Amino acid sequence: MISKKPLFSWVFERYIGMQALLFLMILTTIFFRVFPLEMQKRIVNSAIAFKRLDALLLYSGLFIGAMLLAGILKFLINLLQGYIAQKILLDMRARLYDHILTLPLSFFRRTPAGMVITSLTSELSVIGEFLGGAIAVPLINILTLVAFAGYLAYLNPLLAIASFAIYPIEIIIIPMLQKRFNHLNQHRIDVTRDLSNVIGEAISGMHEIHGNAGYGLERGKLLRFAGSLFSVRIRMNVYKFLIKFANNFFQSLGPFILFLLGGYLTIQGRFDIGALVAFLSAYEKLYDPWKELMDYYQDLQDSRVRYKQIMDYFDIRPEFEIAPPAERDPYALTGQIEIKEMSYSVDSQTHILDRISLDLESGSQLAVVGVSGSGKSTLAMIVGQLYSYNGGHVLMDGRELKTLTKLDVSHNIGYVAQHPFIFNGTIQENLLYAFQSTRRTSNNGDIAAMPEGEEVLRVLREVGFAEDVLKIGFDTILNPDKHSDFAQRLIEIRELFFRRCGVELAKEVDFLDRDSFQYYSSISDNLTFGYPNTAQYEAEALPRNALFREVLDDARVLKPLLALGEELATQTVFLLKDLREDPFFFEMSPISVDEFEKYSDIVARLGKGARSRLSAADGDALLGLALRFVPAQHKMAALSPALEDDLIVARHRFMEIMTSRDPAAFTFYRPTEYLYTFNILTNILFGHARADHPQAMELIRQRVAEMAREENIIDEIMALGLQFRVGSMGDKLSGGQKQKLAIARALLKNPRILIMDEATASLDNASQAHILQLLGSRMRGKCTLIAVVHRLETVKDFDLIAVMRAGGIVESGRYDELMGKKGLFYELVQGM
Amino acid sequence: MNSSRECKMSNSPKPVATRCELDENLEILRRIPIFSAIPLQRLRLYAYLGKRVSYGAGQFIFRQRDSGDRGYIIVSGRVQVIREFSDHSVLLNEFKEGDFFGGLALLSDINRLFSARAVTSLECLTWDRESFQKLLVQFPEVALQILDMMIKRIIQMEEKLLQTQLHECVCG
Repeated sequence: MISKKPLFSWVFERYIGMQALLFLMILTTIFFRVFPLEMQKRIVNSAIAFKRLDALLLYSGLFIGAMLLAGILKFLINLLQGYIAQKILLDMRARLYDHILTLPLSFFRRTPAGMVITSLTSELSVIGEFLGGAIAVPLINILTLVAFAGYLAYLNPLLAIASFAIYPIEIIIIPMLQKRFNHLNQHRIDVTRDLSNVIGEAISGMHEIHGNAGYGLERGKLLRFAGSLFSVRIRMNVYKFLIKFANNFFQSLGPFILFLLGGYLTIQGRFDIGALVAFLSAYEKLYDPWKELMDYYQDLQDSRVRYKQIMDYFDIRPEFEIAPPAERDPYALTGQIEIKEMSYSVDSQTHILDRISLDLESGSQLAVVGVSGSGKSTLAMIVGQLYSYNGGHVLMDGRELKTLTKLDVSHNIGYVAQHPFIFNGTIQENLLYAFQSTRRTSNNGDIAAMPEGEEVLRVLREVGFAEDVLKIGFDTILNPDKHSDFAQRLIEIRELFFRRCGVELAKEVDFLDRDSFQYYSSISDNLTFGYPNTAQYEAEALPRNALFREVLDDARVLKPLLALGEELATQTVFLLKDLREDPFFFEMSPISVDEFEKYSDIVARLGKGARSRLSAADGDALLGLALRFVPAQHKMAALSPALEDDLIVARHRFMEIMTSRDPAAFTFYRPTEYLYTFNILTNILFGHARADHPQAMELIRQRVAEMAREENIIDEIMALGLQFRVGSMGDKLSGGQKQKLAIARALLKNPRILIMDEATASLDNASQAHILQLLGSRMRGKCTLIAVVHRLETVKDFDLIAVMRAGGIVESGRYDELMGKKGLFYELVQGM
Repeated sequence: MNSSRECKMSNSPKPVATRCELDENLEILRRIPIFSAIPLQRLRLYAYLGKRVSYGAGQFIFRQRDSGDRGYIIVSGRVQVIREFSDHSVLLNEFKEGDFFGGLALLSDINRLFSARAVTSLECLTWDRESFQKLLVQFPEVALQILDMMIKRIIQMEEKLLQTQLHECVCG
């Protein structure tokens, strides 16, 4: 198991060739490091002393040549070392993640996600960096030290011994300090982790904190760890700077001895100047490898600790084998299930399930009912191999469920959770998730081909999700670069649609008519009647746009609009001044929370009666506010019919001027123009549905869908809907949509056993009936169904109903039998 | 210019089109007994978060067992409250202008116990659960009054329902 793998095994396991290459390069570079020293000595002793210019040039040339080669080699060594490091990191990350993914669900219930994340990201990358140099760094530095020491001994053994005498002292003192430091550092990592958990917990439980005003309590929790972090840091600093001090001191002790002893020997004539220069220079160069070795030692300790912590954390055996042996394909089960005296307990004391026995023929349908907490879901999860049982047997076609591999299970069992998880991505990607994973991990490649588009659509219709996807498809905003042909087609349909439904929908829709005021559009949209293609005409920039202002002024709407802005600001500030802490209240206001301060200041200045005191910027802000005003949405002001008429006049004037001066600046709302700022539905409708008619939207969608069907663009719209990105955890879908998606996802796999854990709980009645109908008709006999059911009115048609209480099955039978018994089931139904 | 002045002087008679919706909603709420007791500044927020909707005669506002998250005040028109059974349905109640119905959905995520159908063309002022609960949390003193009113309403409904059942038993 990967969590038992020793740290250094990562270095030696692979990349032996690269390590050997690295070793060779290191050996070569050592030579080029020592060689310049000898050149230095010869420059002083032979060239300068005997005034030989040719020798000077030769030695200097060799000197710089060797330095250059040493530099280039070092560069290559670094590259190679970095490459190995990243390779090892990649390998570690992938393999550790593989392992983590297979850990039992119980592990993830007690483990904060952040813990797993930091382990795999920052912590692991530090270890990877270290392992990259795990061989190279000590090797290169030790060899350098030995080479320099050898050279020094060759120059003068006495001096060499004297200068090296310092090192043993250093070797004792500094690691000692270092050890203390590491110890503290370990403590710091632990405390930091605790601190992160405290913050993580507070963030996920923020509603409780707000609800209970638990600010002080949470602060206390944080301070406990932050405080000890503080004191650890201070102590760490003491050791860190002590180490620095010791290093520096010993480092200057060397030259001191050299100058004193070397100087004395030279004065005595027992040592030559050239040798002294070489000696000093070599001694200076000793520092770097020495320091690097020290750092290496520290990194080694650090990485060992980190590595051990990570591996200990994940040192848990997966509950099940992942894949069958290579020679065997995943089993094809018939769906026959036999549960014998099966028990499940946690901590070997709390019995969650107690001696459950059940017999299910292939293709039969079982409903599991009972009060909440009776173990219904746990039973479903055990049959889905999400938990492992402790006692008894669960046999599928006579094979013990525990011994089946994950792949066997996923090939045969579809599991739909009560709160299904939807992954970030498109609807299509989510639909194919279950299917794809059985394909990817199968041993001999393609066992089944990907479902065809037809197949996907059929399943979507069966679970009642097709309507949602169509609706989502109609809400797509097209991209002008990708969809211009389709947009042209939609313009044709727009015209057909208006001819057919224009009269019928006249009361439900504000059509985009250039001669009528648009209550569902902002004032600026009403004025420009189009969307800008250049930044200078963006809605936010309009108040400062000279041309635009001129048009407003000419049409005599500038002053009324400024007054409207004043009114909006005054009313909104008055209304929401106490509610600034909750952005919810600002959703229906033209002023956002962030701007509240600004407008509240303006209102204060207005209140002092001096309109003249308002700056030009204030005026722009008020005009901007008025331009944002959507009459049907913002309730705090209203327009007079006269002003509405004036605004239409201004609109015509603006369109005229823009068309003549800068026709490309705007795409106007013309019936012949596809509007890329609106979704497909609005484009076909060429107008906005009236929000005060709750049934309008439904009627419009129905009519548009009919039209789309007749004009054969349904498939395109569905395809766009399937490409909709559902957001993180699918939060752009409703609860019901997520459940339908999850059911479709499981059905696409064509499972032999389908487990539904209250899988229709968040569906509306119609959708729930739809699914039940599907299970009762087309799916009957196709797969064995185990449904945990909350709403008892839905269980009448099941072959078997198991009634659970306190982890056991108290009675089972068909609906009529159980009702006849007048037992717990009867009570539950009566109590509904 | 004159359009914007209207909002502050909502009492003075002016053409309807130029009065802002917030003031109109406020007027409606002030005429309804339970709401009229709420201080004006608080009531403005109810008016602000309320939404106006209209239905044609015969249209359903909601159906029994649908999940719902809105409560309604009738601005004009009449509404029938119907309990639907598999083979017949029972008319439980009829609401008129100024009445409040469907309010349980403002308090909890429930399925509708009955269907509501517009008898005439209908205009309502409505809130969704999120807005309503936000206001309850903001102004707990108002919350109590509203809860009290709602509980009384539930008891009234139950009594009516019990009577209907009794009646059925006797008859059938």
